[in-house]
Amino acid sequence: MILRYFLNSRLLPIISLLLIGCSRIELKPIYKFNNILSQSNESLREPNLGKRWLAALVNNKGKERIELIDLRSRRIVFLPGINRSDAQPISVSVSANGEIIAFIRQREDKTELLVYRRNLGTIRRIEITPKGIPRRVSLDGSGKLLAVQVSRKGRWDVDLIRL
Amino acid sequence: MKILNKNINYLIFLISLVFLTSCGSRVERLSSPLLTLSKQEPALSGSGQFLALIVDQNGRPTVQLRNLRSGKILPLRSLSRNQPHSSPSLSWNGRYLAVITQRFNRRQAIIKDRLTGRTFQLPIPGERVPIRLSLASDASQLAMQFSHKGKWKIEIFDISKNIEPDLPSGMRVSTPVQELNR
Repeated sequence: MILRYFLNSRLLPIISLLLIGCSRIELKPIYKFNNILSQSNESLREPNLGKRWLAALVNNKGKERIELIDLRSRRIVFLPGINRSDAQPISVSVSANGEIIAFIRQREDKTELLVYRRNLGTIRRIEITPKGIPRRVSLDGSGKLLAVQVSRKGRWDVDLIRL
Repeated sequence: MKILNKNINYLIFLISLVFLTSCGSRVERLSSPLLTLSKQEPALSGSGQFLALIVDQNGRPTVQLRNLRSGKILPLRSLSRNQPHSSPSLSWNGRYLAVITQRFNRRQAIIKDRLTGRTFQLPIPGERVPIRLSLASDASQLAMQFSHKGKWKIEIFDISKNIEPDLPSGMRVSTPVQELNR
């Protein structure tokens, strides 16, 4: 009888929360950043956060581009050559110092993994061997190690690539 | 003079060729146990020592943590339920793991502190559903992607009040890394 009361009561989620030792933490919105992010009428997805940098994919009227925001100065960083009108970015990741950006884009029926160096303004294509289609990328803090989700022979795999 | 110019151009070409061939990338593939069919959503720690990913465990997408230096899969006992898991993210030394889980038909964001074993639930304002997470390398902030009025939106939250920083070794406050390799 007592057991049935507890199972039917609204206390169940709280009791189970206590049993699994899960506590809540305060999520404090950072309005000075969120105001910048919500100013435009654009859609933002795939956030990748460094201490000072936020890389994301921004969609404006169906056209997507990679954007890097300097959270300290609250400005969008100019990335010459990274976005192309004939390419669609899929995934993006930034190194701790914001200098290296790894990204995946689709262009002319090809899906490519690329590394952009801000100080040089260069883009380098990274070969995937054995061949596969990259889907998602993660860069470590130094920008020297990449983890890439790759579709290969009908299954998802993860490759580690040292640059 | 023309011959000298030609030789210099040839030399530059050779040096460029050597440079281009020497900076090739080395690819390693993660070895997988027989029962693991699929590996998705890789997320490296800032130090590059740890990798979180979503693996298919008996048809249930489950977060897994690997120490890339030792090659070992590390235990995440409190994260063996509430699947499907998605969008894992790690702090610098891999102390904190943020991930989206499912509980009572509701998607929720949590952070696991591997040093203390505590799990924190993140109360999301409003009725919004988290889609993707990204933890700052020092774990002071969290970026969250939501669906809002038919659009994707990203918001950044300060979580430093409840979370100790996870800084690279050598900084004033840093995580005892040896504790995280167990």
